[in-house]
Amino acid sequence: MPTPTPIQSIVITLIQCLLVVIFVFVVVPLTVFAERKVLGHLQQRLGSTRVASGHVGVTGWMNRGMWKWGRVPVLSYWRGIPGLVADVLKLILKEDILPDKADKFVFFIAPALSMVAAVVVFAAVSFVPGVFFIFPTWFPYVGGLPVSGGIADINVGLLWILGVASVGVYGIVLAGWASNSKYPLLGGLRSAAQMVSYEVPLAISLLAPVVLSASLNFGEMSARMAIGLPFWGLVPQILGFLIYLTCGFAETNRLPFDMPEAENELVAGFHTEYSGMKFGFFYLAEYINMTVVAALASGFFLGGPWLLPFGLQGLVNPFLPAFLSWFGEPHAIFFVVKIIFLLFTYIWVRGTIPRYRYDQVMSVAWKYLIPMALFNLLLAALVRCFAV
Amino acid sequence: MFKNEEMEINLGPQHPSTHGVLRVKLRLDGETITHCRPVIGYLHRGVEKICENQTFFQGQVWTDRMDYCSAVANNLGWAEANEKLFGITVPRRAQYIRTLLNEFNRLASHLIWLATHALDIGAMTVFLYAFREREDILDMNEAFCGSRLTTTAFRIGGLREDLPPGFEKLVKKFLAKFPTCIEEYENLLSENRIWKKRTIGVAKLSAEDAIAMGVTGPVLRAAGVPYDIRKAFPYAAYAEMDFEVPTRTEADTYARYLVRMAEMRQSARIIQQCMDGMPEGPVMAKLPKIMRAEVNEVYHATEAPKGEIGYYLVGEKGSGNPYRFHVRAPGFINLQSLPKMAEGGLIADIVAAIGTLDIVLGEIDR
Repeated sequence: MPTPTPIQSIVITLIQCLLVVIFVFVVVPLTVFAERKVLGHLQQRLGSTRVASGHVGVTGWMNRGMWKWGRVPVLSYWRGIPGLVADVLKLILKEDILPDKADKFVFFIAPALSMVAAVVVFAAVSFVPGVFFIFPTWFPYVGGLPVSGGIADINVGLLWILGVASVGVYGIVLAGWASNSKYPLLGGLRSAAQMVSYEVPLAISLLAPVVLSASLNFGEMSARMAIGLPFWGLVPQILGFLIYLTCGFAETNRLPFDMPEAENELVAGFHTEYSGMKFGFFYLAEYINMTVVAALASGFFLGGPWLLPFGLQGLVNPFLPAFLSWFGEPHAIFFVVKIIFLLFTYIWVRGTIPRYRYDQVMSVAWKYLIPMALFNLLLAALVRCFAV
Repeated sequence: MFKNEEMEINLGPQHPSTHGVLRVKLRLDGETITHCRPVIGYLHRGVEKICENQTFFQGQVWTDRMDYCSAVANNLGWAEANEKLFGITVPRRAQYIRTLLNEFNRLASHLIWLATHALDIGAMTVFLYAFREREDILDMNEAFCGSRLTTTAFRIGGLREDLPPGFEKLVKKFLAKFPTCIEEYENLLSENRIWKKRTIGVAKLSAEDAIAMGVTGPVLRAAGVPYDIRKAFPYAAYAEMDFEVPTRTEADTYARYLVRMAEMRQSARIIQQCMDGMPEGPVMAKLPKIMRAEVNEVYHATEAPKGEIGYYLVGEKGSGNPYRFHVRAPGFINLQSLPKMAEGGLIADIVAAIGTLDIVLGEIDR
């Protein structure tokens, strides 16, 4: 395999960045779409699971072609697409209002900050260990060169992820402050307190996989957790997984922890004064953050790109027929499937349970999650000492 | 170096959880409410004064538009107050149909309360489930009187028309599925840890305070006072109905939730009894073409879903319209207790308190 020149490797990295951005901007609208549809089915809504044009556009074409089969649930997945299109158009077309008394620069920079912080985390996420694919030799300039499964193979990847993710808080706090309005201020204060509190148990719960895998590199961690431990490490780390997921809900401001934007209390929380695409950035950032949290959870606790649990990969592989051998190998697609399952969980929870009160949110973090996370860390250390 | 200052904030008049155009002036210490004053009047139309310039028949249309979530209950109060004023006896069948529709209305109103209250606390799914069942009730309203929300269901002296054909089937279908629907809501909420944390011990109002402020309805019953006008001073056909008045003693938001859920079950029972014991006969009493009042005054109270709705009417000799008309609106009186409930709590609690009071601004501002 030829070694890339420095310029070639920069080009490859840029291509990787592009792929990740494409991934993000495909997954996020699909999540929004799925949120409409899953909630629509959970809540028996009449619109979001049915709306589709009968005459014009893509849905019209599909309806004309398949109106008979469209009643079969599997074939009616496109139903609801106009809602998604309208959603995106609304974000783009709405007037961008700048409040008179807002701090203009900070008001402008806040949505960008939370968006950037959310996307940049993906730099350290490894979708698949080793080589993702090799450019075919006819490809100009970078032909024959391998592309690895993650953008940056940082040996302290987890620190990078946690560090950058916490920058996202600034976006929310600054948005709340810069709006110069009372509800956003309350939302910003809430989010500052909440996200800082939840980062503690979140980090501690992620320390357990670090202890178990003796690494801070995302790819190595997920590989060791997936292969070396029973059931992707989910069995010894079930407590850690639940704590992590809870904190993940809080960090991404989703129900039951959506304090910063609790719409029935604070109107829209920190983004009350935002409209148009600036609001769209917060919206996107929230969904990208959800994807990030899901990616970390599936990487550390759900076996990442490995499909087979129980440490069976090595055992089963020799017996698999050749055409099924991909089954035992890591694939980015398995990783993405797990992310999608966790994203579904987000929506599922949103459709089921009410919202905590602010003080209760804080007491959950400090009184229950942190001690439990510490206990879990102790467990992981014991497993590390005596079992692995 | 650090200044500790209270923040003054307006909850409303445009706010997702003030149920219309209620404005609450809050003073906050952090997130704790130190001072709370409701400001009302944004929906004032002068209903009482308008009714004084209309005939007795026309006035009913305005009662729909007070508490638009329980229009039928308002209609019933107005019709009965007028019947009291003129000394009209309503046929028994009309009484039964009135009771039936009134209980359906109680269900619809309680479902709206459940929907919005749950949504305020963040349980979005219950909101849509409750609206699904309410839709069936509105369909029945439509079948009976042609309109869904502002029903003008009754007439002074009885009903405009008998029940439409096929109404019984609608009711049967509804009663067959409604108990499972209530169970569905309760499965989502009653034992939900978060729901309990958000409602138990929140927005307390003791029986003494409630009585001192004239609070009625489920809020009073959740404080342990079994005062229900349907039992205390029976009207329509309630004297012949067998039902219980659910009470709780905790006097908090959760108790009010339980009381209203139990009330929904009782309403379904009353509806069943109305259907079973529905007498035959005319539905309208004989009335003169133009009603001319004597010098007379009445106060007639009925149990609306939100509490005691009282109509005070003064007749003038020979006049076709009331000399004075006043409504004792349950929401208006109940809203007084909001500062008592909310002060000392958090912002999230005042949202729960507004939800649990089940206010409709159309009736408060009139």
